[in-house]
Amino acid sequence: MNAARSPVPVPDDILVRPGPALLRGIADGPSLAAHRERYGALPRLSLSELGDLVGDVGLRGRGGAAFPFATKLAAATAGRRPVLVVNLAEGEPASSKDMALALTRPHLVLDGAYAAAAALGSRELHVVLPGDRPVAAERMRAALRERPERLRVQEHTASPRFVAGQARAVVELLERRPNLPVTAWQPEAVSGVRGRPTLLSNAETWAHVGLLVLRGTADYRRLGTTAEPGTTLLTVTTQGSVPQVHEVELGSPLRDVLPADDGSPGIVGGFHGSWATAETLSRARVSVPGLQTLGIPLGAGVVLLPGPGSCPLQLTSRIVDHLAGQSAGRCGPCLNGLPALASALQGVVFGTESTARVEQLCGLVVRRGACAHPDGTSRLVRSMLLTFPDEIAAHARGGCAARPVEVAS
Amino acid sequence: MSARTLRVDWPACTARGLCRELLPEIVELDPWGYPVVTGEVTEDLLADARAAVRACPQLALRIVER
Repeated sequence: MNAARSPVPVPDDILVRPGPALLRGIADGPSLAAHRERYGALPRLSLSELGDLVGDVGLRGRGGAAFPFATKLAAATAGRRPVLVVNLAEGEPASSKDMALALTRPHLVLDGAYAAAAALGSRELHVVLPGDRPVAAERMRAALRERPERLRVQEHTASPRFVAGQARAVVELLERRPNLPVTAWQPEAVSGVRGRPTLLSNAETWAHVGLLVLRGTADYRRLGTTAEPGTTLLTVTTQGSVPQVHEVELGSPLRDVLPADDGSPGIVGGFHGSWATAETLSRARVSVPGLQTLGIPLGAGVVLLPGPGSCPLQLTSRIVDHLAGQSAGRCGPCLNGLPALASALQGVVFGTESTARVEQLCGLVVRRGACAHPDGTSRLVRSMLLTFPDEIAAHARGGCAARPVEVAS
Repeated sequence: MSARTLRVDWPACTARGLCRELLPEIVELDPWGYPVVTGEVTEDLLADARAAVRACPQLALRIVER
């Protein structure tokens, strides 16, 4: 098993741009006093009021699957008293939006969770902190110490691993087992922590809930489109600079957050995402169904721009090497299939292997694991095959349009 | 009636391959010996599928309604 390092490291430092809603007024600082000054006291809502708020604006989860939050809420409240989880374990190194919220808006995140806890009558609230982003984790702990609520919050620290933030892996962590994915026979909202209904969402989703509770749906609908109200967070990483977190209106052009005249392809959705040509990036709008139609699902809002002159095949190969090493190693098809895929892909980069073997291995790993790690890896590889036929042909002839193939050390 | 299919508990499966022996109609093996489920559990396969579920040494197989 190789342990290739991530081609995009987990950042120590990020640049958080002020935004129109969640990231509005971040210059006030992250204190509870500043937060209450801006938003006022946290209203107490009933379960049906909370359901109406999130249902009215069609709030979707921001962890990558874009699952409707109202549906999850309804499932979690159908039976016993639910357990609530705020997930800040951002396992994807190229995503830093939850880190951005921990640094600048921790109380908006917590307001969402506390309001839900009150509405649902939950007695158990867990906050899962990132193991590899210590400054963000410490800021969140400090925010928790400021809260006056009597509900005790249990803090957990996720493993610094790609799959550690996956929902079932988080449930495992909360049950004091290794922080790795296991088979989910039922959704967490139906049967999660100790078999209880578990409402588990990431920090950005809870921040949107918080904003809705504090400001209402009319204010929320000022931004975005009628079909997709509100905003979303994007982490944009360009070669050689600090990752930037932007808050953009849904429906707005993606190019607004991209460097001008870059003119090169990029990855949307992160290491489990998809390659897009410069042309696609320039006409794309930030929309869940819109990007789905373009074949570049938004996922957790990651945009990776390796920049002109870098080879997309080599970058994909390095990412897949890393992802193969990030497998929990528990599911046979992933444990065996991802290293085989990484090696076949290296063959394509060096022009010694045809793409047929790569395609075959992609087909062999999808939907055959406890989590979507093999599926996401295969999505990235397939998008590379679709987006760069000319580059692949050039590599097959022993060349590379971008730069000479570096010999792996 | 909803369709039935076989679901594998992947972290539990250790590629012993008994499911393939008992249910070759809808179970193939990948290059590493892990099952590839190729079809639904139809009415005529139900008894054999139940046998495969019972025989799995890792208890890694379930019949689920889709």
